Amino acid sequence: MFPSHIKGGTFLHDGFAAELGSDLTEVDRVGRLIEEFGERTGLPPKLIYHFTLAFDELLTNTISYGFPDGMHEAITVSVTLDDESLVAEILDSGIAFNPLERDTPDITLSVEDRPIGGLGIHFVRTFMDKVEYCREDGRNRLTMAKYLKDSA
Amino acid sequence: MADQIQTSRPKGRLDSGACAAFETELTGYLNAGAQRLLIDFSDLDYISSAGLRVILMAAKRLKASGGGLALCSLNETIGEVFEISGFDRILDIHKNADSARAQLAS
Repeated sequence: MFPSHIKGGTFLHDGFAAELGSDLTEVDRVGRLIEEFGERTGLPPKLIYHFTLAFDELLTNTISYGFPDGMHEAITVSVTLDDESLVAEILDSGIAFNPLERDTPDITLSVEDRPIGGLGIHFVRTFMDKVEYCREDGRNRLTMAKYLKDSA
Repeated sequence: MADQIQTSRPKGRLDSGACAAFETELTGYLNAGAQRLLIDFSDLDYISSAGLRVILMAAKRLKASGGGLALCSLNETIGEVFEISGFDRILDIHKNADSARAQLAS
């Protein structure tokens, strides 16, 4: 759909879209798609790592909690690259869930007091430059962006 | 068993899909009475919060039983994930396996 091309060191428009099942093995598949995308576009490996991790955490949440009655609904993901940013969107028809409402974990607690969990969204907020959530037409829409000027 | 250093060497990616096997492995060592556990990250490329959850579980159990946990050979990006989690401050992280073993044996 999107031809890959890099001219004179400038990233031109590129991207991919995929439909995923609500199964945790899909997280790994998306990780590989992003890695391939990173190699094809020549984006910095560290940026790709951060992007993969953010995707992983959000998809893991959606797949683990978004479909409580065991229904297998499709999740649509898309990634778009332009000159300024790498943008991703995750759309799903699971239960309404805004991951950005979660509290930031207290990362100074000891091993004994540290709760298990809550780190995923903390990674997304830390590694992405912009994260937005909205519920529309019975679907969760999560968009996140990483600006290229900081990581080129 | 209690005096031995049990070593786990996860490979590739530790994400939500892969961490069940990792959790089974560590739980197996702990249930068998292991008190000194080394997790060697030499072959690990990637970790998500799902993998960190398993490590925290092991750290809690070993802390409660008076045992020891050490980690070694984290690559740069994995090290960054540990820093952002604050795990670098609560876990015993070493540059290499020799240093981690020495610490666990002491």
